[in-house]
Amino acid sequence: MTRPSGRLPRAATLFAGVVLVAAACTPAASTAPSTAAETPGASTAASAAAAIKYPETGEVTCPSGATKGSFNGNDYTGNMKSIEAPDDMTVVFNLCAPDVAFLQKIAFSVFYINDSGWIEKHAADGTIKDTMNGTGPYKLDEWRKGDSLIYSAFDNYWDKANYPLVPNAVLKWATDSGARLQALQSGNVVGMTLVGPNDFKTVSDNSSLLLAPAPEGQALNTLYIGMNHNDKPWSDVNVRKAVALAIDRQRIVDNFYPAGSEVATHFTPCAIKYGCEGPDWPSGGTDADIQQAKDLLTQAGFPNGFETKIQYRNVFRGYLPDPPAVAQDLKEQLAKIGIKATIDEQESGTLIGNANAGKLDGIFLLGWGADYPEVTNFMDYHFGAGCTAAFGDCLPDISTPLGKGNSTTDDATRKAAYAEANQKLIDDVVMVPVAHGQYANAYLAGTEGAQVSAISTEVLWGMKPPASFSTPDTVVFMQNAEPIGLYCADETDGESLRACEQSMEGLYGYEVGGTDVKPVLATSCDPNTEGTQWTCKLRSGVTFHDGSTFEAKDVVESFAVQWDAANPLHKGDTGIFEYWGGLWGGNLNPPPPAS
Amino acid sequence: MLQFIIRRLITSIPVLLGVIVIVFILVRVIPGDPCTALLGEKANAERCAQFNERIGLHQPLPVQLGIYLKDVATLDLGTSTKFGKPVVQLLVERLPTTIELTIYALIFAIVVGMALGIVAASRRNSAADVGSMMVANFGVSIPVFVLGLVIAYFFAVVMKGTPLALPGVASGRLTAGLRFETIPQAWGMEDLTGVPRGILDFLSNMYTVNGLLTLQFGLFFDAFRHLLLPAIALGTIPMAIIARMTRSSLLEVMGLDYVRTARAKGLRGRVVLFRHGLRNAMLPVVTVIGLSIGGLLSGAVLTETIFGLSGVGLTIKDAITSRDYAVVQGMALFVAFVYVIVNLVTDISYGFLDPRVRQS
Repeated sequence: MTRPSGRLPRAATLFAGVVLVAAACTPAASTAPSTAAETPGASTAASAAAAIKYPETGEVTCPSGATKGSFNGNDYTGNMKSIEAPDDMTVVFNLCAPDVAFLQKIAFSVFYINDSGWIEKHAADGTIKDTMNGTGPYKLDEWRKGDSLIYSAFDNYWDKANYPLVPNAVLKWATDSGARLQALQSGNVVGMTLVGPNDFKTVSDNSSLLLAPAPEGQALNTLYIGMNHNDKPWSDVNVRKAVALAIDRQRIVDNFYPAGSEVATHFTPCAIKYGCEGPDWPSGGTDADIQQAKDLLTQAGFPNGFETKIQYRNVFRGYLPDPPAVAQDLKEQLAKIGIKATIDEQESGTLIGNANAGKLDGIFLLGWGADYPEVTNFMDYHFGAGCTAAFGDCLPDISTPLGKGNSTTDDATRKAAYAEANQKLIDDVVMVPVAHGQYANAYLAGTEGAQVSAISTEVLWGMKPPASFSTPDTVVFMQNAEPIGLYCADETDGESLRACEQSMEGLYGYEVGGTDVKPVLATSCDPNTEGTQWTCKLRSGVTFHDGSTFEAKDVVESFAVQWDAANPLHKGDTGIFEYWGGLWGGNLNPPPPAS
Repeated sequence: MLQFIIRRLITSIPVLLGVIVIVFILVRVIPGDPCTALLGEKANAERCAQFNERIGLHQPLPVQLGIYLKDVATLDLGTSTKFGKPVVQLLVERLPTTIELTIYALIFAIVVGMALGIVAASRRNSAADVGSMMVANFGVSIPVFVLGLVIAYFFAVVMKGTPLALPGVASGRLTAGLRFETIPQAWGMEDLTGVPRGILDFLSNMYTVNGLLTLQFGLFFDAFRHLLLPAIALGTIPMAIIARMTRSSLLEVMGLDYVRTARAKGLRGRVVLFRHGLRNAMLPVVTVIGLSIGGLLSGAVLTETIFGLSGVGLTIKDAITSRDYAVVQGMALFVAFVYVIVNLVTDISYGFLDPRVRQS
């Protein structure tokens, strides 16, 4: 009844800019992949198993500039060229163009490694989304649907230094932050995610609880004020500048955000490398700013202002903890320069759909939270090759430097590229970044290893309940929703990813509570000089929870089934494999566009 | 009787069809769609077009409705867009929670409600009568979610560390991590397959039933503790209605001639009350109980949400939030079906309570 839906058109465009810039250096990428013997540092102890290559037959023709690539007679827009396992302990990724975020991407939870035999059995019968077989410190014992996930320590875990502090862990959920807090207060759970913005004080004032806020500057989210440049009056840059000048962003943060939140100096939070290159966003809201804003409106032909809408969606996010209040405050601030706004609350999906289709004709409030802590995740999704119609036409003035920054490992070049892009964002007032919202987890006082993660990677194996907890040998942690599925390759919700985090591991991973990457199932992944080939040496002595041995073929299979939409095992929960397209640019053998 | 049942079942078909059509339209009238609800900020028009084509939402509404009706006729309630699994499977997973909760809430409502009603009727105009009816009025006035939150906070947070402490908000069905055997495991029937296995798995998921059948009393008591507050919260309104109905019905019956005759014969007051009065006063009470089951099912949405119980109610609520059309439609249809069946059973029970109804 259903057809695999691997092709993601926006993702298809995501890497076009990268490819455009990198086209000049693609010859190295299009050469045949190296063999184990050619790979520096290849293990001589590796077994003599036959080399594996994906795709097994045929060659991928990489996209070049505006020209799409091809494979097997189908268009191809992605950046992955081939994945090879020259021996059991080596995997080589060949890319069409350099990718500076390669390590950050493979560290992302959706690229955790499954046993190839497990995939073959459980993707085929559809049970892969209900259970897990990883290499991580906890193994999943049971998913009590609607209630909890129950884990126990994996006896044969390879990393004895990170063996679970307690033998059992339970992941529970409640959507309401007040309910999570009450569960914590009643001692039913050890920790909880995302304290409600109004409960920060309640938690910090309670001596039996511990507030664990994100470290200073680590709030990896951004609220922005958007305007569609194709619509009047926003098509006039003076109008957009007037709006930016009129808004006192500090006032919004002070009044409506929890302590620790910051005014956004750039679109990308500064904790992300290269996020804050270039000048800070100018402040606004002073008397002088207001006067200047009025002058700009007069120049634009609106001496008495105009009428518009402030549109927001009725959901609470870390970047926008109180949407109605912020919208009301914005309305008052804009009134000072004569802009008379009415407030238009829209259903969440409706607003997103309207924004992406370029149908929002007023001001809109939207935001973004990091999927993985890399500047491309913020900039490219909005202003690079992956831009939507939310701000009007995509802007080559910005996507070009972004493409440049994404395709080089040279530090100075990257800094310059992102500084140029950020400067253009200010000059054109593409949007107005407002705030990075603070968020916090809460724990019972005395909990060892209390963590908060910007990317849903709190690890239960690093926590130990206080001795007074009712079940001291079990960590009970409460997140904000039930996982949708446990095959994280095809999930996008942080709750599923956190559930996977406890049992699954990737070639690389993120530091606990941090954003730096570290080798996990790989001992190293090193690029060639062009940055188009990454060679990963795998860790030996690793076993999956079912006893299978971890080998290179597991890595190839785990990536290949996501990559190739025609692969019979390209099956998951929704079949979209959203992040593959978003991160690598497109699938092999994508299905035809929707009619 | 058989003819009566068949006739009632046939006449229920238009009701169920109406439910299907109304719910089908209503879920689509709500702003938003499954794709944007699922993908959030990452949704875009082209991606959603592919998504909609994959799940059939690109078809005109009448075509979608036609396909859905055809599927329902074959007991296929569709597939959840959020969970990617058949609605029937979700129903089987989540229903045991709701059944357990409803049963305990109903037991609470009947036992406490009838006790209050009998006390009030047998001691009319006394302090006990006034007190009982005050409790009933309070119970019928307070919304489920208010009562649920208040008693959860009191017993879980205020009473924390005392013998009166009970699991509160978002506590789920069992103490976190409590391990137990399913019925097939406990009975050594793990190789069992097919429908018998499905039935045993279904019963296993009713934890108090599982605990009793497999003699895992730790499981039984833990599950029972977790059900106590939700059952009280859910059962309070029907309890109050049953109390008032029992009182008024019993008062009416106790004033009839045959009761006076029974008393004149020298029967003890308790015998007259329970054997002659209560049985005949039960007819309207049974009707109320039957109607209450429908209320319990709809009230379960709030109760399950407050206490984190993964039943049909919480699933419907989540499905509405995530615009999971198939789940909303399937679960609503199921609830409507239960309502029809409960009403039928209520009607049939009249015959057992009153021979005159049986004869007619």
